[in-house]
Amino acid sequence: MIKFEQKNYIYKIYTFLPIIILYISVLNEFDLNYLNIDYFSFNFPFILIFYFALKEYNKFDYLLVFVAGLINDTVVGLPLGVSSFSYIVVCTFASYLRNITIRPHLIKDWFYFLFVISLINSINYSVLFLFFSYDLDILFYIINNLFTWLLYVPATLIFNYYFKAIND
Amino acid sequence: MASSRDDFVIAIRSAFLKKTTKQKFSLLTLIFVSVFIIFLSNLNLKIIKDLRSVINEIVFRSSFIVSIPENFLINSYSKIIEYSSFYNDYELNKIELEDLKSKEISNKIIISENKELKGLIEDYSFSSNKILAKVIVDHESPFLKTIIINKGSFDNLKIGTNIYDKNYLVGRVIDVNFKSSRVLLLSDLNSTVPISITPGNVQAIVIGNGKNAGEIKYIKDNLIEDIRDQSMAYTSGTGSIYKSGIPVGKINNANNQFLINFYSDFDQLKYVFVEIDQEQETAAQTINNESIDIVDSANTEKIKLEILNEELKILNETNDKFIEENQFLRSQINDKSNKVLELQKKIDSQNKKISQSIIDQKELEFLRLNLIYSHKCQTRKLFSTGYKVGTQEYKDCVLRKGKKLND
Repeated sequence: MIKFEQKNYIYKIYTFLPIIILYISVLNEFDLNYLNIDYFSFNFPFILIFYFALKEYNKFDYLLVFVAGLINDTVVGLPLGVSSFSYIVVCTFASYLRNITIRPHLIKDWFYFLFVISLINSINYSVLFLFFSYDLDILFYIINNLFTWLLYVPATLIFNYYFKAIND
Repeated sequence: MASSRDDFVIAIRSAFLKKTTKQKFSLLTLIFVSVFIIFLSNLNLKIIKDLRSVINEIVFRSSFIVSIPENFLINSYSKIIEYSSFYNDYELNKIELEDLKSKEISNKIIISENKELKGLIEDYSFSSNKILAKVIVDHESPFLKTIIINKGSFDNLKIGTNIYDKNYLVGRVIDVNFKSSRVLLLSDLNSTVPISITPGNVQAIVIGNGKNAGEIKYIKDNLIEDIRDQSMAYTSGTGSIYKSGIPVGKINNANNQFLINFYSDFDQLKYVFVEIDQEQETAAQTINNESIDIVDSANTEKIKLEILNEELKILNETNDKFIEENQFLRSQINDKSNKVLELQKKIDSQNKKISQSIIDQKELEFLRLNLIYSHKCQTRKLFSTGYKVGTQEYKDCVLRKGKKLND
C-alpha cells in the first residue's frame, strides 16, 4: 500500500487528486468517445462528484466543482451554467443522502445514484430543449445514464483504494 | 409522523445550507448562482458574450494542453494502423493521383472560365481566401458534434463561415472568439444543409443524425425515385448559408432511408480550411478599377495560358506513352504472326501425312480383300462373268467382297 509522509508535496497533490481528475475530465472529456462504439458514453464527473460529496471529503470544494461545471459547458458548447447546476445538484443529493444515512451501503448508494443522474439528465434535456431549442437525441441521454450508473460500482472500488491510502 | 417530517426538513436544510470548515459557499448559494448564469447566458448581452469569449479562449487552450497525452496515445495507435496498410494505400493513391491530376487541369480551366463569366454577369465577385486552421479541441461528444479551431475574429472569421476539409464541406462557424471558434459539424443534429443531388438535380435538405452521417429530409415523394444509390450531393447554395457547388457526400440507400456518407471523416480532422470572403469591385465602377480589371483579365489570360501549356505538356507526355505502347504492341503482333505461319506449316504437313495414311489404309484393305475375293471377281475363259484384273470394275468388285453388279 502507498504510504505518505505528512506535509510532503506529493501527499498534498495526492489529497487534491479528485479535484485534479475532475478538472482533467471536464477539460479532456475522457469518456472513450474516440473508440467510436455506438451509443457508448458515460459521464465520469457525475460519478466522481457523487462519490466524494457522499464521503464529505474536505478537499472537495463545492466552489471548485461549480467552476468545473462552467469549464465543461465551455468545452462541450452548452449554455453557461447548465453543467454547474447539474454538478451542484448532484452534490446536494449526495449531501442529503449522507445526512439521512446512518449505515452506508454501496447498493443503496448505487440505486440512489441512478435516481439522481436520471433526474439531472431529465432536467438538462428539458432545459436545453425548451429554453435553448437544442436538438438532442434522447436515446444518447438514456444510454449515457445507464453506462454512468453501471460504472459507478467499479469507480467506487477504485476510489475506496484512494481513501485507504490517505487514511493509512 | 411529525418527527419524520422534521428529520426530512433538517436533512434538507443541512444538505443545502451546512458549510463545513473548508467550504466557502453553501450549495444553495451555488445553485442560485448557476441558475442566474443560465438566465444571463439566455439573454445574449454583449458583456456576457465578451466574458464568455474570454473564458472560451482560456478554456480551449487549457483543454488543448490537457488533451495532449490522450491525443498522443490515440494518434500513435492510428499511426500504427496506418503503417500496416501503408503499401496498399500507396498503390491506390498513385492511381488516384494520376486520375486527379488530369481532372485538376480541367477544373482549373472551369474555375477561370467561371470567374470570367461571373465578372460579366455581376458588377462584383467574391474571391475566396482559404486559410489553414488547426483543430485544437475535438472531443467527439455524442451529444453535440462540434470542434474548436485556432482561428477567430482576429483572422476575419464570422458566424456562418464555411469550413472545409480539403475541398469537402465540414461545417460552419457558430461561435467566434478572438483567436478561436466553434464549428458545428454537418453530422450534428442541429445542422441543416440545402443540397442538390446529381444525377437528377434533386433539391433536398440534409440534417445530421448525431453519428457520422446525415439524413435526407424535406424532399418531394415523386422525386425520391430519381435518387440513386451512390449519387453525389453538393451544396445548392439555397438560403445563402453555404456556398453553392461544394461537395458534401454520397447517397446511401439503406432500407428506403436515404443517408449521406460525408466525404470527410470528421473523426480524423486535424487541420481544416476556413474560407474568408473578400469582396472585389470590377471594371464597371471606376477608372482605377478599370485598370485593375485590365490587369486582372491579363492575369486571367496568363493563368489560362499557363493552364493550357500544362495541359499541352501532359498531352505530349501521354502521346509519348501511347507511341511507346504502340511500338511494343507492333513488335508483339509481328511475333505472333510469325508463330501463326509456323503453325500453319505444321498443320499442312500433318494434313498431308494424314491423307497419305488414309490412302495407305485403303490400299491395305483392298489387298486384304483381294486375297480373299480375287477368284470371284477375275474373268474366266468358260464363264466370262468377272472383270479384268487391274480395272476399276475389278477393284470395286473386290471392295464389295466379290459381289457383282448383276448379283
